[in-house]
Amino acid sequence: MPNASDREIRTDPGTEWISVAIGRWAIASAPTPLRTLLGSCVGVAFHDREGRLGALTHVVLPSSRGIEVDHPGKYADTAIPAVLAEIERRAGPRVRSRLTAKLAGGARMFQVATDPSGTLDIGRRNQEAIEAILSELRIPVLARDLGGNAGRRLTLDTVSGIVAIKIPGGAEYCL
Amino acid sequence: MSTDPTDLRPDSLRSIFDRGAEGASEALSRWLGRPVRLLVSAIDHSDLSVAGDLIGPADDLVAACAMGLSGRLDGMLLLVFEDRSGLAIADFLLARPIGSTDQWGELERSAAMETANIVGCAYLNALADAIPGGQRDGLVPTPPEFRHEFAGSLLEFALMGQATEQDEVLLVRTEFVAGPELPSLRWTLLFVPGPSTATTLRALRAESP
Repeated sequence: MPNASDREIRTDPGTEWISVAIGRWAIASAPTPLRTLLGSCVGVAFHDREGRLGALTHVVLPSSRGIEVDHPGKYADTAIPAVLAEIERRAGPRVRSRLTAKLAGGARMFQVATDPSGTLDIGRRNQEAIEAILSELRIPVLARDLGGNAGRRLTLDTVSGIVAIKIPGGAEYCL
Repeated sequence: MSTDPTDLRPDSLRSIFDRGAEGASEALSRWLGRPVRLLVSAIDHSDLSVAGDLIGPADDLVAACAMGLSGRLDGMLLLVFEDRSGLAIADFLLARPIGSTDQWGELERSAAMETANIVGCAYLNALADAIPGGQRDGLVPTPPEFRHEFAGSLLEFALMGQATEQDEVLLVRTEFVAGPELPSLRWTLLFVPGPSTATTLRALRAESP
């Protein structure tokens, strides 16, 4: 599957899905689904039902700390504004009022890892940062599937806005 | 003698991990009762965005035993098994016909974790001996923990420490080679440095001829 880069938009309906890499984001028109694999990172799935448009960010860290970054998709405080700007460029400024969001990820997969820099708690900190930014932007969060100790495969259906989650060894379920 | 890992010379970087692999080879061969060799296959320096595919397709399910490190080197050691190959070794260790197990039950997980413990401790002891001023008590592994996971999720989690400081990540991959009397060992031993060790290794690698 093709990988999405920071500003890449792939809308080829012949593509089975677009794979969003660690610290990147992508936008797709229906019916092309967006997919990513998550561990402690948090995926933010945006959907505009009227515009039949979806976007997915794979957020690694909560804050860029104000430093200019090469890959805005890596940080919550740069990824969300960047993806929203691209959605608005594509669908017009009024799209913001129609957008909804769903969140997944933020697992702590192993307890064994030593944690001198506090990285094991990154999932919770990512969630807090993302929720604060979305609240400020008045984008409603319709569903959350966060925490635990298992990785997740997230697939956003850009037609319906349904987010499908697959956990190793478990059945797929929907948000 | 200095015990600072930054005193490692660039040309010794690869040989240090080779020593780790040799130490682990001996221990694993004793454990299985058959000759097995571990070979350092790569010291990867990759963009974070492609790291999820470093051990194969990111959405492949793999079994992994993780050991955390603390002391002179920070980070994580991961023994990753392609499913069928890992289960075959569990069959071998449990004296069952190869291929008779298709699920990771308690016994199979226990066999995998014991194998990881033996390989991991031998690898780390050899690393500690190879580092100038090496002190075994300066490298402290945690007991192994088992997970059946997506390969991409596993790597994303393991590399999170480095991701806090860099867009590029570094890890050391070691592969396994066994004789015909053993099932195929499609395993990978990953040494995933934490942020401070990665910085040291990255600097040494940049200076390498």
